[in-house]
Amino acid sequence: MLIIENLTHVYANGVKALDEVSLTIPAGMYGLLGPNGAGKSTLMRTIATLQAPTSGYIRFGDIDVLKSPDLLRRTLGYLPQDFGVYPRVSAYDMLDHMAVLKGIARPKERKDVVESLLHQVNLWDARKKAIAGFSGGMRQRFGIAQALIGDPRLIIVDEPTAGLDPEERNRFLNLLAEIGENVVVILSTHIVEDVSDLCPAMAIICNGRIVKEGAPRDLVGQLSGRIWRKVIDKAELEAAKAEHQVISTRLLGGRTVIHVLADQDPGNGFTPVEGGLEDVYFSTLSNTRRAA
Amino acid sequence: MFGKIAGFELRYQLKSPVFWVVSVIFFLLTFGVTTISEIKIGLGPSDHRNGPYALAQSHLIFSLFYMFVTTAFVSNVVVRDDETGFGPILRATRLTRFDYLYGRFLGAFAAAAISFLAVPLAVFLGSMMPWVDSELLGPNRLDAYVFAYVVLALPSLLLTSAMFFALATVTRSMMWTYVGVIAFMVLWIIASIALGKPEFEQAAALWEPLGTAAYSLVTKYWTAVERNALIPPVAGALLFNRILALVASAGFLTLAFFLFRFQSAELSGARIGKREAAPSEKDAPPPAPAARVVPRFDRTWAWAQLMARTRLDMGQVFKSPAYFVLLAVGLVNCAGALWFATEVGAYGGSIRPLTRMLLQPLAGSFSLIPMIIAIYYAGELVWRERDRKTHEIIDAAPVADWAFVAPKVAAIALVLLSTLAVSVLAAIVSQLAHGYTNLELDKYLLWYLLPQAVDWILLAVLAVFLQAVVGHKFIGWGLMVIYIVATLTFVNLGFEHNLYNYGGVPQVLTSDMNRLGRFWIGAWWFRLYWSAFAVGLVVLTYALWRRGTETRLWPRVRRLPSRLTGKAGLTFTLAAAVFIAAGGFIYINTNVWNVYRTRIDNEKWQADYEKTLLRFENTPQPKITAIKLDVDLHPHDQRVDTKGVYTLENRGGEILKEIHVRFDRDLKVRGLSIEGARSKQTFDRFNYRIFAFDTPMKPGERRMMSFITERAQRGFRNSGDDTRVVGNGTFINNTEIAPSLGMSREGLLQDRAKRRKYGLPPERRIAKLGDIPSRQFNGLRHDADFVSSDITVTTEGDQTPVAPGYKVSDFTWHQSDRLKGPVDGAGDRRTARFVSEAPILPYMSIQSARYAVAHDRYKGVDLAIYYDPHHPWNIERMKTGMKASLDYYQANFSPYQFRQLRFQEFPGYADFAQAFANTIPWSENLFFIANYDDPEKIDMVTYVGAHEIGHQWWAHQVIGADQQGSTMLVETFAQYSALMVMKRMYGEAQIRKFLKFELNRYLRARGGDPLEEQPLARVENQPYIHYNKGSLVMYRLQHEVGEETVNRALRKLIAAHAFKGAPYPTSLDFLAALRAEVPADRQTLITDLFEKITLYDLKTKTATTRKLPDGRFETVLTVEARKLYAQGRGQETAAPLDEVMDVGLFTMEPGKKGFGNDKVLAFERRRIRSGTQTLTFVTKVAPKVAGVDPYNIVIDRNGDDNIAKVTMR
Repeated sequence: MLIIENLTHVYANGVKALDEVSLTIPAGMYGLLGPNGAGKSTLMRTIATLQAPTSGYIRFGDIDVLKSPDLLRRTLGYLPQDFGVYPRVSAYDMLDHMAVLKGIARPKERKDVVESLLHQVNLWDARKKAIAGFSGGMRQRFGIAQALIGDPRLIIVDEPTAGLDPEERNRFLNLLAEIGENVVVILSTHIVEDVSDLCPAMAIICNGRIVKEGAPRDLVGQLSGRIWRKVIDKAELEAAKAEHQVISTRLLGGRTVIHVLADQDPGNGFTPVEGGLEDVYFSTLSNTRRAA
Repeated sequence: MFGKIAGFELRYQLKSPVFWVVSVIFFLLTFGVTTISEIKIGLGPSDHRNGPYALAQSHLIFSLFYMFVTTAFVSNVVVRDDETGFGPILRATRLTRFDYLYGRFLGAFAAAAISFLAVPLAVFLGSMMPWVDSELLGPNRLDAYVFAYVVLALPSLLLTSAMFFALATVTRSMMWTYVGVIAFMVLWIIASIALGKPEFEQAAALWEPLGTAAYSLVTKYWTAVERNALIPPVAGALLFNRILALVASAGFLTLAFFLFRFQSAELSGARIGKREAAPSEKDAPPPAPAARVVPRFDRTWAWAQLMARTRLDMGQVFKSPAYFVLLAVGLVNCAGALWFATEVGAYGGSIRPLTRMLLQPLAGSFSLIPMIIAIYYAGELVWRERDRKTHEIIDAAPVADWAFVAPKVAAIALVLLSTLAVSVLAAIVSQLAHGYTNLELDKYLLWYLLPQAVDWILLAVLAVFLQAVVGHKFIGWGLMVIYIVATLTFVNLGFEHNLYNYGGVPQVLTSDMNRLGRFWIGAWWFRLYWSAFAVGLVVLTYALWRRGTETRLWPRVRRLPSRLTGKAGLTFTLAAAVFIAAGGFIYINTNVWNVYRTRIDNEKWQADYEKTLLRFENTPQPKITAIKLDVDLHPHDQRVDTKGVYTLENRGGEILKEIHVRFDRDLKVRGLSIEGARSKQTFDRFNYRIFAFDTPMKPGERRMMSFITERAQRGFRNSGDDTRVVGNGTFINNTEIAPSLGMSREGLLQDRAKRRKYGLPPERRIAKLGDIPSRQFNGLRHDADFVSSDITVTTEGDQTPVAPGYKVSDFTWHQSDRLKGPVDGAGDRRTARFVSEAPILPYMSIQSARYAVAHDRYKGVDLAIYYDPHHPWNIERMKTGMKASLDYYQANFSPYQFRQLRFQEFPGYADFAQAFANTIPWSENLFFIANYDDPEKIDMVTYVGAHEIGHQWWAHQVIGADQQGSTMLVETFAQYSALMVMKRMYGEAQIRKFLKFELNRYLRARGGDPLEEQPLARVENQPYIHYNKGSLVMYRLQHEVGEETVNRALRKLIAAHAFKGAPYPTSLDFLAALRAEVPADRQTLITDLFEKITLYDLKTKTATTRKLPDGRFETVLTVEARKLYAQGRGQETAAPLDEVMDVGLFTMEPGKKGFGNDKVLAFERRRIRSGTQTLTFVTKVAPKVAGVDPYNIVIDRNGDDNIAKVTMR
């Protein structure tokens, strides 16, 4: 279990990226959903010991993460949002190198680990190629392979599916789904489907604050009967926004579909819809922004 | 559109920090050169710092270095859009390729050109600064500034801009463009050195694209006055060269236009596209899923981690293309240096490729590469994870911080070591290519590889530390550049102690005779000291390591104390302890056991010495008539104890009341007693003592004086360890161990600017020619005439002692049993006594080494060569030269005054040969290792031997009075003697090659003379006059009036003055003897040669030939001629020319390989007058070339146009 308490991070330029964040993350897949710039990566990096917060406390099991980052690193698998590779180094060599760093020093064991991981992430055939020449999906699969070295108990994947085509995205999520249930896996993303497909628990982060937390099913349940839909012309949008709490707009066949949040039927041609996680996300963001 | 783009680009560049940083740096550099007299870049001592020449030099040199800057400006134009990703947007607009490329180029180039204005601005402002010596400043002339900026700098800036702009469009990479810049720079330097020989200067002036060679060709023979007044016309080679630069620029810009791909690098890169089509290999079946592997964080892991990181870091360097380029450039550079390493020795001599002789050029030419590697790759490796964006993955792995730092340092260290090893291989290959197989690998290892490796690793550690601290790679690199510049400057400003100059070590001198001597000891103590410091830096680097995404320094500094606990703290403490302990020991050596003096301390001392004591210069002193020395050498302890007795005589007309005794500055005086005198005053700081006679010394009276001195060095010094008394190859002269009488001008401060700085008159000139009082003294020493000597030398039992005089006894004995006296064979001390028969000058060398000795007897003279057994090659050649010299001099001058003639080798801490009475020490660097496999090479061994043997007459028989012209009687006549020996042995053709070198040296040196040029007869100890011009003058003299006529005059001089003592002869005595020998019509020649500075300008404008009806050929030469007289500072006035000169017709150009008498069709003496004239010849065969003074016997600044190709009419 990963416990985060009152985590605050203020950057040198005065931007408050994290604001009193507290979370308790159980074993299993945990989704952290938020728009670009919400503070997701700052939170991920802070947990991954890559930056020290301005204040706060993080504990994983019995490891005080901020005091003993080295202990956490021994059981951490981290796939950053954006990572590069060394030029002229093959996937096999790079995994081998990472395996050494992650405590698998004996050559025989390392060979087993590296080969089995390459197989697992379906990069066996490309193992001798330089990673620099990999496609986006291959690169992300390599990324998860290196994160899985040494059976980590905490795995952090930061925006892993951004920019992947649907097929590669599925392949990647399948890989994540195979990870054992006793491991804490934090999946940070701005793509709602990633979370709804995979995570039994989640939180929504916005402007550096956790604004909603819970199981996706419960959260969707809370919205039951409060989401209304209407198809309007583009010209009517401004008026609708002024009148209702519009949580999302989407184009459909040249017209605009809007979802609004309301406890009662707003009438005027709105029809009730079964809310999805997307509506939870957008309504939460909408609420937060109205509050701001 | 074009204008707008150019304008936008210019404004963009003007706002960039690069522009301002660079402008400030170059402003400061130029300002420093202008205002700090210690810094001289390519300038002579009298050149005005704001004069046309200095302006030209600074613009030329800085526009060369500016190539790094222009590249930053213009390649940014190309690379920027790809790096920022803005390119696709821009390229989607209606911008044309022409506007985009050239508009931006123009803007960027304009920015570079504006930024370069910092250079003239700095000169201008610098010339206003009050502290600049007014003698170093002239008027600020707008035309000089405009010439330097517009003609010299701008075309070069444009060329480098265009060239690297083109490279950047091809490579689309800043790194590759810079690799190109470095490669160009290094190749330019190599080419400049390789083509620096006179025969290439014309070609270099035309084609060297940056104008340096063109400008230096125009100005090469300029005197100080000309340098400060003239701006060369933009014509001839200079004009061609500048147009070439513009044309080449246009070419590169056109090239860039066609090479430029108007889409982003990624889209156009076919290579990357191929790589993406990745998975295909099906070579092995996928493995079965493995059993669970549990990580173990143990010792094996820590070690494996270290190895893996080091391997990765090294691989990143070794596999990077930039490394190969750097290495290749370094190898090309050092290949050039290694090749030319054997071409040392003036006059085109060559030496054998001994390992020792290769190490210095190797270190010199290659050291740029390890320096760049250390600095560049420190930045690359420290920042690599970040640059490659792998840092988040790697930093989140359980890697200890030390496992980042240690491998990076180790990787650079190993890269440096292997790079140096490659350079050693290059040297070995060059030895083998010369067919030389005595590789001496131990010297490569201990004299070069290890010390160099340590020194460069120290630099790399500093670079790594700075990179770890600062927030950007470029700042780290910038700091290192500032550091390098600062270390160079500090030494100039008097901050010389290696205890505070990071990585500083004393120079280690090498010698085949004495190997590393004791010089290595101090150097390695300093290396220990700085290595300990570097270990401390590594620990700090670890403690401050940037991990994760935090890049600010302050949070890292705050946690510093907590990270310096445990093993890190222990290591730091240990390193600090070693640093302090080694530092303390070094301090005791350099500052307690030895005196630490900076260059500025020494100058101050010299100035005070002059101010305090020069007033005694004319205080009458007795003269030494006999010298008895008992010299006890302890070579391995670097100590010599001397007991001596002088016999003094009052040879003047006055009664002497006091006697002044002067000892070498650092000589310890253990005892001094003078018959009938007692100490009156002692100047301890100057080791100068005044004794008063109880009863004054009457004219003609003799007294005895005895002294005991000790010269020793304990431990090591910060710099300048003693090179005279060394383990094997001691070479010391009497003034270093025994006193002189009275004050002399020896060792006074010379540099005019420095003299003024210390409030001294800018120059002290010697007595004018014809001065009467100075005829009482010879040019060597005022306190003695010819003397008798009795020197006893004691040294190690296995060494051979040598001193002037005949050996009267030589035995070994046991130190432990001193009283027992001589033993047979192998005692541990050896004592030999040398006594003079003929009177000699009080100028004595004392040498001791483990010598091999070659003996020969020739016409009653015992010839002996004392040499190092490793250098046996030229002994026979030396003997032949000795015999030829003795023959010529005895036949033409006078009998040889001694029964023996000896050459002795000494360690290569100096490069000269010196003539003592019947004893001639030679440096091991020169002639013992000369190589004569190529018979075309000038025989320098014989030449220098003949010169030194000549001194047995011209110094040791006749020596000039201490006034103007003195060195003419010594050095010029020795040159002449040697030339005549060479002429006998090799014929005139060889001599002409030789004179060409002399002419070039003389003409070049004229401009740099800080005093003023004197006519030969008034030479004031100016080497370019008494050696180089002396050779030319004497050779022409004997060519015009006959060798025998010259020799008759010389014989008269000997007959009148040999061994006579005061009054000494002057150059006037020789000229009088000469004038008596030559006919009336040659008297002006003597005036022109000896009493004036005479220059000729001879030119064969056209040479045409036609076939006569009888089958012979009639050739007509049009010759232009003039004669000039120059003043001491270079002003010239035309003089009427009417002389008989050589005119020749040839079938081959004289001096070319294969030229001989058979190529001469006609060679006649014809009268040549000022102005244009035609000369007609008839020959049987058609000539190919013809001209006036074809062998370059007269002094002519352009000797090449004396002859011309003959055209058929």
